[in-house]
Amino acid sequence: MVHDIYRNLKKDLQVEFRNRSSFNVAFAFAGITTLAVSLVAGGSPLSPLVHALMLWIILFFSAMNGLLHIFTREEEEGTALFLMLNTGAEAVFASKLIFNVVLFLLLEALVTPLYLFFLQVPVASILLLVLTIAAGGMAIACSVTLLAAMVAKAGGKGSLFTVISFPIILPILLVNITTTLAALEKPWPGPVSNVLFLLAFSTGVTVLSFLLFHFIWQDT
Amino acid sequence: MIFGRLVFIVMPIAIYLAMMWAPPAAILGDTSRIVYFHVPVAWGGVLAFAVAAVYSILYLKDQNTRWTCLDEKAANSAAIGLVFIILATVTGSLWAKMSWGSYWNWDPRETSIAFLLLVYIAFLSLRSVLNEHPRRGVISSVYLIMAMVTVPFFVFVAPRIKNSLHPDTLINAQQKMQMEPTMRITLLVSAAAFTLLYVYILAIRNRITMAEHKIDEYYETLENQK
Repeated sequence: MVHDIYRNLKKDLQVEFRNRSSFNVAFAFAGITTLAVSLVAGGSPLSPLVHALMLWIILFFSAMNGLLHIFTREEEEGTALFLMLNTGAEAVFASKLIFNVVLFLLLEALVTPLYLFFLQVPVASILLLVLTIAAGGMAIACSVTLLAAMVAKAGGKGSLFTVISFPIILPILLVNITTTLAALEKPWPGPVSNVLFLLAFSTGVTVLSFLLFHFIWQDT
Repeated sequence: MIFGRLVFIVMPIAIYLAMMWAPPAAILGDTSRIVYFHVPVAWGGVLAFAVAAVYSILYLKDQNTRWTCLDEKAANSAAIGLVFIILATVTGSLWAKMSWGSYWNWDPRETSIAFLLLVYIAFLSLRSVLNEHPRRGVISSVYLIMAMVTVPFFVFVAPRIKNSLHPDTLINAQQKMQMEPTMRITLLVSAAAFTLLYVYILAIRNRITMAEHKIDEYYETLENQK
């Protein structure tokens, strides 16, 4: 299984490296919205709560633009059936999950400094912010990977992905925003337990996704 | 179905108890009587969603080999639950206006009910998009199970983490209903009435679903015979 995961992940990364569709779309969206917010704010100071909200709204919609492609690509290019016949459902899901987590963490690593720089956001606890962004991003990527498979099987509509994802990741968004706000306002440690909650949520959702994925993936 | 028909007896009793028998609450006065409708419809909604999740799990396990239309029955239960939750939102909103001065305050319980509405609106949207799709049952069942995992966080955990404007007479650390006996009896009778109402509507909806399924099967048989 580990070999299958590695092989599939390598294939996905090579395909992504060749056309960069997921990353380009998600990063372009995040970059444009960050610049738009900065431009509209025009240097006027925004409250930490507004910064926390804006940052996670940008990241949420970037995720909606980027994380769906991993499964829709297989359906559009007609490789899903080939993958289904050659690789076990668990290995497929694990590789897609790792890909989505890596993609979203990379996206966050680019968008967050960009946001902090353009909007000149003072941060009270860098460590808590980094942990929140990483754990929150992981929780979002883990939650939406199964939903991406569902939407791909349903015909791959981006708007549908946003509609069905939002209620599922709403608890994560609320915790992310609260913890980011604390990182902007309060010194370390702040609500570190929220980071643990995000990691626990990611684990729970991933276990459930593993249990449910083969129903979505296999046609019979 | 017969069990559900008890609603025709229990519901009038519940209305009588709520409007005539139970005393008005201190401070809130007669406006407090809305609790006998608000809490039972909210309970009915959560029950409907739990039943929908059970149907979905059974559907995934069975895949229409032993039982038929389990996914349709899950959707029926979820749709009824959505109506109940909308009623809970409206009655709660009216009560909030009378008690707290505004229709909506983003109280933890209001947030959780808004979340429930979003989840099940998304579920019904998903099902409508998948209309005629051969894997509609599987995809919608998986979504419902996935959604149910986040429901306890909003319904039970979130209201306990943040301070709520809601009174803790029903759900509190002591796990006891802090109401006087007449009010408690009225609330329990009303909860039973709305549970029966849910059972009755679900039974009717499921009968319609089964009838439609049999008609479809009949037409398929006719097509095959041609």
